[in-house]
Amino acid sequence: MMPYLSIITWAPFVGALLIMFTARHRPLLVRLIAVATTLVPAALSILVYVRYDREAAGFQFYEKVTLVPPLGISYELGVDGMSLLMVLLTSIIIVGGVFASWTITMRSQEFYALLLALVTGVYGVFVSLDLFVFFLFYELAVLPMYLLIGIWGSSGEVRPRGIFAWAYRETGVGTKEYAAMKLTLYLLFGSAFILVGIFALYVHAGASSFSFVAFEGTTFDPTVQRLVFFLFYIGFGILAGIWPLHTWSPDGHASAPTAVSMLHAGVLMKLGAYGVVRVGMGLLPDGASDLAWLVGLIACINVVYGALSAMAQTDLKYVIAYSSVSHMGLVMLGAATLTAAGLNGSVFQMFAHGVMTGLFFALVGLVYEKAHSREIFRMGGFGRVMPGIATAFTHFSARGAPIARGGSSPPSSARS
Amino acid sequence: MILSPFALELGLGALMLIVFGATLFARGEDRGHIGWIAMFGVLILTALAMTLEPAPAALGGAFVLDGLAIFAKRLFLAATVIGLLGGLDLQQPILRRRRGEYHLLILASLLGMLVLASARDVIVLFLAFELMSIPLYVLAGFVKRDETSVEAALKFFLVGSVSSAVMAYGLSFVYGATRTTSFDGIARAFAASDPFVMLGLLAAFTGFGFKIAAFPFHMWVPDTYEAAVTPFVAWLSVAPKAAGFVALFRLYFEGMGERVVFWAPVVAALATITIVAGNLMALPQQNAKRLLAYSGIAHIGYMLVGVAAATAAGTAMVLFYLVAYVFGNMGAFLVVDAVARAEGSEHLAAFRGLAQRSPLLALAMLLFLLSLGGIPFVAGFWAKLYVFWAAAQQGLYWLVLVGAVLTVVALFYYLLVAKRMYIEPPERPGRLALAPTLRLAVILCVVGVVVLGLYPKPVVTAALRVATPLF
Repeated sequence: MMPYLSIITWAPFVGALLIMFTARHRPLLVRLIAVATTLVPAALSILVYVRYDREAAGFQFYEKVTLVPPLGISYELGVDGMSLLMVLLTSIIIVGGVFASWTITMRSQEFYALLLALVTGVYGVFVSLDLFVFFLFYELAVLPMYLLIGIWGSSGEVRPRGIFAWAYRETGVGTKEYAAMKLTLYLLFGSAFILVGIFALYVHAGASSFSFVAFEGTTFDPTVQRLVFFLFYIGFGILAGIWPLHTWSPDGHASAPTAVSMLHAGVLMKLGAYGVVRVGMGLLPDGASDLAWLVGLIACINVVYGALSAMAQTDLKYVIAYSSVSHMGLVMLGAATLTAAGLNGSVFQMFAHGVMTGLFFALVGLVYEKAHSREIFRMGGFGRVMPGIATAFTHFSARGAPIARGGSSPPSSARS
Repeated sequence: MILSPFALELGLGALMLIVFGATLFARGEDRGHIGWIAMFGVLILTALAMTLEPAPAALGGAFVLDGLAIFAKRLFLAATVIGLLGGLDLQQPILRRRRGEYHLLILASLLGMLVLASARDVIVLFLAFELMSIPLYVLAGFVKRDETSVEAALKFFLVGSVSSAVMAYGLSFVYGATRTTSFDGIARAFAASDPFVMLGLLAAFTGFGFKIAAFPFHMWVPDTYEAAVTPFVAWLSVAPKAAGFVALFRLYFEGMGERVVFWAPVVAALATITIVAGNLMALPQQNAKRLLAYSGIAHIGYMLVGVAAATAAGTAMVLFYLVAYVFGNMGAFLVVDAVARAEGSEHLAAFRGLAQRSPLLALAMLLFLLSLGGIPFVAGFWAKLYVFWAAAQQGLYWLVLVGAVLTVVALFYYLLVAKRMYIEPPERPGRLALAPTLRLAVILCVVGVVVLGLYPKPVVTAALRVATPLF
């Protein structure tokens, strides 16, 4: 059988290499390579989605190559129902993202190479079943972000006010450099917790491998479970934007270039929730049920706090970013119920919110490109100038309403 | 190949005589050829070291050439080759005129390190330590008309002498209690938990702390690094530290058996405080060499994490860390040197827009910084990962967590340099001139960092092989 998952994962990376080595100073070729190497995984992920055996469930399209035998690190891929959806989501968003950044002219070669490398990291996280390789892909998904935001991002029009104005001026709040640094440090801070968690699992299982499947068969001591679940919750939770560790997300999403915002809000935040559910709850069920109250409580705070913060913003990108924080709260709330219905709702919400936020950021990107402003109050008469986009905005804004896709997931999260 | 266990030391002695002779007969202002002689001589010795096989102990067990000694000697020699190569093009007048002395002193210190790696006797250990350190004091103050250089040398000298005195004092206790100078005898007495031996070894440990520049004993580091010649500093920041660690393994771990865990809490505490202090003090630095000096202190802390594990795995991972550190840290210092030579400033602002002025240097620096920061696919990641893994195996999760979290602080100041290179525009246009030998040295370091990052296995297995017999 064809190694579909490997092709999906590595095709963008091959594209990045091709771009770096062949397409110097040929912007059109750069874009075409990027389109080709993102369309291939997109097509394959649809194929995998269709061919996935829903009756059998479990991990399918399994691949395994041993990498570092003494430590038991192996390259092990597979998808189940949850990661399948996430892979599909990634494909949708990245194809959109490549087209959304079509107009980038400054150093476009490096931009696309970094973007594609980042996408490989994202695919890799969703399909890898070896926790160590999972961690490597995770880092690959975080690091290019620093340069992508720092070089191609946009600085907001935030004017420091209030008693902390001097501190804002000192640190440069609102600038793209500040946002890039903040995002990178927060996410790497999270990854430190994840790494310790993975080590703890490895040592306590007495295992000779980092394989997810092998860990699944082990039952850990309850105390260990609580501690390690907490580590994973903090580590992945930072990426999922849990309160009060969410503050990287509005700054980062607002400053990032369009494609990166789409990818980050649309996919990467889900990656955090995915990590909590898959690694945290999947491997440490007792720890998860002991700490479910904490997860649920924080998720509620997220929902309310994110929504209220979003209302207070005047910068369109910050509005969407804070609403993402709020929606991630719903995702985590669904997961915290630890029931089938809750998890289903949570996964469905991830997918729905991923698609919508991605499109939203794409729209904002279009507006910014034409208007060179993200301030809501400077957009009067916008519906006359760009009727299509204005309608789209109105439509997506109604995401809580039953017709739009997001509508059906909050109730299902809430029911259980 | 069967050679005398002293082959390397004898070869180095011969090389020193050749360099000395060349200095005597050198005429004229520029004495660049002396540097080339020394560099090629060390290169040949490195090749020789690659063929060495373990030999039985000589001098009644005081001098051994086991796997650990060979591993360490290869490391010292390779680091010296890179350090000398980076310094070949130095054009300061004092270095042009006194190149003979400069290289003789480096070779003398190297001889001390080579002996130190083999020492299994307190007297040999102490002599080797002094042979290694005294030339370093002179080298730190090599630019003798410069006030800061003299100040740095004096500071280094005073702190170093005190540390040697403390170490000698502690070792005298050990001798008094055990009546022997051989490490074997000390290990046996230690197993019997003689309080005087413990007290003596603890005092000697303070001396080691000075040599490797762990936290409360680090004061000389930033000033010395800032004032001394940069290629020398690149070498100073790695080779003597590595020698200190190897000697530490010999005295504290070899033959200690079960009792070795006695050191774990002491080292763990020292590691924690060194990591925290080194990283936090690096944050406000604006001078690239001072930044690397403080980050170097933090790295010593990370290596101590592996020492705190007090297992064969921990020891091996520290050895691997040292190899990764040699390439990453030397490379970073050499890039600083290249930028400083072109811009006349070691301030971080000199790095602005480096990516456009010299893509090679910027990419090299980025790789070195990522390696020092412990990011996947470059050497430093595996180094950090392996020491953490060794510590986690011994249940030191809190230490791993402290280390991993402070890595983020380290990444902050490393990324600030990356930001200057890649995001900020250059202050003046034009490409940056780079001496060919320095370029070669930087490229060697890049190769080391990348190859170890993608394929660490051979070095890791070699390190495990040489560390296992110690326990």
